[in-house]
Amino acid sequence: MQDLGLLQDGLALMALGMGVVFVFLTILVISVTLMSKLIGRFQPVPVAVDTGKKSSQASAPSAQSDEVMAVISAAVHRYRSTRRR
Amino acid sequence: MDKLVTLWEGSGLYNLELGQAVMILVGLGLLYLAIYKKFEPLLLVPIGFGGILANIPEAGLAISALDQAIEVAKPAVLQQMAVALGATLDPLANAEAWRESLKVIAQDPAAPDQVRAAKDIAMNVGYGDGMLYSFYSVAIASGIAPLIIFMGVGAMTDFGPLLANPRTLFLGAAAQFGIFATLFGAVVLSSMGIMDFSLNQAAAIGIIGGADGPTSIYVASVLAPELLGAIAVAAYAYMALVPLIQPPIMRLLTTQKERQIKMTQLRPVSKLEKVVFPLVLLILVALFLPDAAPLLGMFCFGNLMRECGVVERLSDTAQNALINIVTIILGLSVGSKLMAESFLSFETLGIIGLGIVAFGIGTAAGVLMAKLMNLMSKMPINPLIGAAGVSAVPMAARVANKVGLESNPHNFLLMHAMGPNVAGVIGSAVAAGVMIKYLG
Repeated sequence: MQDLGLLQDGLALMALGMGVVFVFLTILVISVTLMSKLIGRFQPVPVAVDTGKKSSQASAPSAQSDEVMAVISAAVHRYRSTRRR
Repeated sequence: MDKLVTLWEGSGLYNLELGQAVMILVGLGLLYLAIYKKFEPLLLVPIGFGGILANIPEAGLAISALDQAIEVAKPAVLQQMAVALGATLDPLANAEAWRESLKVIAQDPAAPDQVRAAKDIAMNVGYGDGMLYSFYSVAIASGIAPLIIFMGVGAMTDFGPLLANPRTLFLGAAAQFGIFATLFGAVVLSSMGIMDFSLNQAAAIGIIGGADGPTSIYVASVLAPELLGAIAVAAYAYMALVPLIQPPIMRLLTTQKERQIKMTQLRPVSKLEKVVFPLVLLILVALFLPDAAPLLGMFCFGNLMRECGVVERLSDTAQNALINIVTIILGLSVGSKLMAESFLSFETLGIIGLGIVAFGIGTAAGVLMAKLMNLMSKMPINPLIGAAGVSAVPMAARVANKVGLESNPHNFLLMHAMGPNVAGVIGSAVAAGVMIKYLG
């Protein structure tokens, strides 16, 4: 009988835990999206405008720079990861 | 001749028990894994070495002054302590029997005052807490070391990819299913009578599935300190095994076509967003889940130091010097829990077995959630990045990237996978908060 109680407790904790994790992260998603929108409205990102202009002038270099960016970010992450924990 | 006998009886060889010998071999095994196989060497070297130190016979590095006195003190001191503990010692029995009975009484939590008095006697006679015992009580029993490491992790984490695509937070949430499924698995095992775990212990085992070393240690130290050694070793060993455990599960659950999905370029994230994000997270924790505040509070603090840009020196210390110092002390303290009587049991095997199940389920849940999101949203999502939802930063993200490259050599998923990866850290801290709230 006690075992059944333990089983029920485990099931309850599982449901409650997953529920709270999802609810909390959903709230986080909503607030982060709101925050980004607010910040985007009051402080437009100048970088975005720049890239738009550039890509209209010449599309090939920007595609190349995308790839370069990917490589650079991969390298940065690998470098950082060697100094983790 | 008598002197020679005394010397022999004081030697490690004479006093070495089988359990201690096995644990020293376990410690050497951990060192082997760390040094030759490069399994999380930063943690496993100190843990393995601490494990060896803790099992040196007669040295008592990992036990308190009281236990040490009980083990080696003269009979006169034992009698004094027995009086303090309110126990009577059978005058006919020998000192060894006295030690055994005192040990049982000293571990009884019902009489804290008497135990304290006995400890004072031990201290007065000149016994002190073992070195590793002191490390443990300062670093882990207080909860400080895992929290400082979490601050350092915060200072190393870039939330840019997550902010550019906040929905990846759901992947981090889904992967936490591994934690709770394992908890339930441990409960089922004990209700079937195969193992004997309490709900607290089951929760501490489940958190291995969060793939987050400091979180596992923190939760274990709060909920089930007696299992801490096994849990920490399992958590770090499996984190090192992520590149082996995850890819088969990821391939099994995805089709070649899904693995080739290209994701849209992430938008640039402004500096202001990065500065505000830790504060938003902190406020949400304060409002909804105060029990996750120690972990996520330190995490946000570290991240704010990184992003605000005005405390470079503090941020640099948090992610380098400080985290290294704390890692050494944390590793040795975890090692002190690798003592034969608590580690060499059937339960340890259960923990190690359940740990790998936790990883597998977490990975699978993340991938399946990513598939679901891919079906529902307009923006394509490569299901592989769901596997990065188990934290294990940045190993899991690199695994997702690698598996993606196998299917399409021009598809770099690393930045996309960093989003769910850091979301996993937040998710497992939230899960830890829920468990501590429910059980603590």
